[in-house]
Amino acid sequence: MKFEWRLAALKNGFQDATAYQIEFLFEILGSAFVPAAIQWVLWYALFQTGGATEIGGMGYQDMVFYTMVSLLFSQIRGGDHDFELGELIRNGQLSNYLLRPVSVVEFIYIRGVAPRLFIALLCLSIGVFLGFLFDFSVLRMFGAMLLALIGNIIHYQIGASLATAAFYWEEAYSIFMVKNMLVSFLSGELIPLNLFPEKMQWIWKCTPFYLYVYGPTQYALGRWTHEEYLFQLGVAALWLFGAWAMIKLSWGVGMKRYLSLGG
Amino acid sequence: MNTSKAGSAVIVVKNIRRSFRSTVKKEGLKGALGLLFKPQFQEHEALKGVSFSLEQGSFNGLIGANGAGKTTLLKILSGLIPPSAGEARVLGHDPFKRALDFRRQIALVMGQKAQLWWDLPAMDAFDLLKAIYEIPTPLYQERLNTLAELLDVKRHLQTQIRRLSLGERMKMELIGAILHWPSVIFLDEPTIGLDVFAAHKLREFLKVFNHKEKATIILTSHNMDDIEKLCTRVLILRSGELIYDGRPQGLTEEGERRLRVRFMERTEPAQISKISGLPISSIEQSAESSEEDEKTESETPAYLIQLKQDQIVNVLQSLMQSLHIVDMGIEQQSLERVIQRIYSEEKELGTSPQAEHL
Amino acid sequence: MSWTRYLKTYQVQLKNNFVREAVYRTNFLTAVTVDAIWIAIEFSLFSVIYANVETLAGWSRHQVYFFLGIFFASDALFTIFFQRNFWNFSDLVNKGELDVLLTKPVHPLFLALSRSINLTAGFNIFMGLGIALKYAEPAGFEGGWRWLLVFVWLLVGLITALLLRFAFSVWVFWTDRSWALSRMYYQFFAFATKPDSIYPKTIRYLILTALPFAFIGSVPTRALLHGLSLQEYESLAAVLLIFLGLNAVLWKMGLRRYQSASS
Repeated sequence: MKFEWRLAALKNGFQDATAYQIEFLFEILGSAFVPAAIQWVLWYALFQTGGATEIGGMGYQDMVFYTMVSLLFSQIRGGDHDFELGELIRNGQLSNYLLRPVSVVEFIYIRGVAPRLFIALLCLSIGVFLGFLFDFSVLRMFGAMLLALIGNIIHYQIGASLATAAFYWEEAYSIFMVKNMLVSFLSGELIPLNLFPEKMQWIWKCTPFYLYVYGPTQYALGRWTHEEYLFQLGVAALWLFGAWAMIKLSWGVGMKRYLSLGG
Repeated sequence: MNTSKAGSAVIVVKNIRRSFRSTVKKEGLKGALGLLFKPQFQEHEALKGVSFSLEQGSFNGLIGANGAGKTTLLKILSGLIPPSAGEARVLGHDPFKRALDFRRQIALVMGQKAQLWWDLPAMDAFDLLKAIYEIPTPLYQERLNTLAELLDVKRHLQTQIRRLSLGERMKMELIGAILHWPSVIFLDEPTIGLDVFAAHKLREFLKVFNHKEKATIILTSHNMDDIEKLCTRVLILRSGELIYDGRPQGLTEEGERRLRVRFMERTEPAQISKISGLPISSIEQSAESSEEDEKTESETPAYLIQLKQDQIVNVLQSLMQSLHIVDMGIEQQSLERVIQRIYSEEKELGTSPQAEHL
Repeated sequence: MSWTRYLKTYQVQLKNNFVREAVYRTNFLTAVTVDAIWIAIEFSLFSVIYANVETLAGWSRHQVYFFLGIFFASDALFTIFFQRNFWNFSDLVNKGELDVLLTKPVHPLFLALSRSINLTAGFNIFMGLGIALKYAEPAGFEGGWRWLLVFVWLLVGLITALLLRFAFSVWVFWTDRSWALSRMYYQFFAFATKPDSIYPKTIRYLILTALPFAFIGSVPTRALLHGLSLQEYESLAAVLLIFLGLNAVLWKMGLRRYQSASS
């Protein structure tokens, strides 16, 4: 294991993202503020103007807490470096990377994850602070952040596998749009997933997306027991492994095609 | 109003200056905040008072090192940017007003920038230009035919542009740029990146087009072949100043010659200078021969002597009186060398502010 | 004289886009599936909500579905005519494409914004209108000749989206990373996906004035269902006119900056 280039890539990615601080700041604020505002507005309309008292076992305050805490984790899952991989394949720049003695998939991930790690640290501090204010467990907050970071890796792995579609198809970016829309709904950053009707719960349970935002939020808010959390960590590990195998397979096949076409 | 008659000036430039500001960015967060609240500017002068006028149907070469102001000048003449001071007239128009009539009569081709949209076959991209310039169909077909034939790209017209080679692509760019039969054509490094054969084809074409259609052409290039083979007039820019304006032959023909001699005896430039009466700065040891020296040790080095044509006989006579000449030759200075000298002088001056913006 | 040139040019652009779509045949899948999934997500979001309450800020379930139909049709119009052109907008300045466009005897913006026409997205209009048609009656839309009004209001939605998107894109003259602002456009765009009446006062005021995202779908739907007050018509016209003026000024200023910064 060589750490020098990984460290360098991490540093480079961080510098790249923060080279324009104002935009970086805007991006974080924008991606946090707007979804939260919309969620809050929905709860407000439902409970205050709609007159509901309890939905799916959650009251107004539960909903607001959910919205607030889920924000800390929805910031971690983002990043479109998987998209970047697809672009590299499409415009042929992949060849430049193939000359380097490091894995492209890993290199792009490390570069892209750098700003997320920074945001994770920021969110963790905010989470601990909120913990003191509202009496959430700090230990749970750390555990939840760990799960969210694992979620970030799974998210990228899936994206990296999907990126190989670009070996065959010029407009592979549309796959990312579809995936990101599904993720934004099924990760639980729009609404708590337990609001799904009983018969539709399986939909989110059969994807790993709930591990990104919904899972960490539930654990941080104390709605998951420690046993449940450990079980879900195991599930996450399985997804990690499965997605890793998918990358190996899809890149192996795709690369063969790429090289046979002469790059 | 297009008032150009044969032989009259189509492009008139009077004392044009162009300065531009660029922001100075400092490192780190403090620098970025500084940029936001109190930006610091640096002034550059890209053109420092340039004047000339070009005749209709002339083929003009514009040369200079990177950052000398060539692209800036082309941008001013094609109306993309205004001069900071001075006046430019092209076809009787103030270019920067970009009057419709003006835009219809000019063409700008940038070798490093594509104007045709790459995801279409060239034919369809030309259709768009036909509509933009309102070229009547029969005329359009006739022109396209002629151009495609001259440039030998007929069979590629239906190919998606991104699948063409660089040379073919440039030819298509050129066709697209002149389908509307412009009276003035600005070419910014059209042969850049092309192989010798494609560049040759392009040059041949430009020559014919200029000759037949009497279009006024300004061409910038770093390729001296372009200048030597095409241009009837050369303008040389150095750090934003026009330092030469005249025929390309004028650069080499001012009687400047280079004498290459080798003597039997070992000698030194100082000695040669003393004997011939020429300044020592005009004498140098030939770099090529010193390499040969290593192989054949007995050989003495050759010397290159800059001098005027009418000095040759006298210098040779006086040299022969004191030394034995083994080998000698007289060379005319090539344009390439002259330009090289001009470029390197610019470097020594150290005034080249920065690379040209593209 | 001049308008025939513009008309002819547009005709050729249309024809060329047919050619282009013939090259990328898979495009259809892209345009349609992405929108279909988006529609499905919005519908499931509201069906989850309406599983719990009868009305939301005065909107019945079917009225919201009708709104979604109108909104999707309006957005499809934007997708067809402008979406890709705005994706490419930053290339104008960053890759210097503007230089060539400026020398052409047609307005450079006309050329830039008419370049890509996403014909297959036309199918999405029918999806949107189909949904609107299906829920028109239960939503209380009177129909008949009023369907003609639908087209007028779709046009209002299209113009609003165009003006707003332009206002977010024109900053490309000032910042190297204009995508940060483009992304913000899509973040704010999320406000347009819900009826404006459900928002708290401040946000609602904002999306009816400074960031008039409500004009894309929500206000047109209200106009179709209940009609607007005279004051609302006036403010709609005023806001759109102000945006038009603002965009014109920004474009001029941007161009001037472009011309003074380049050497």
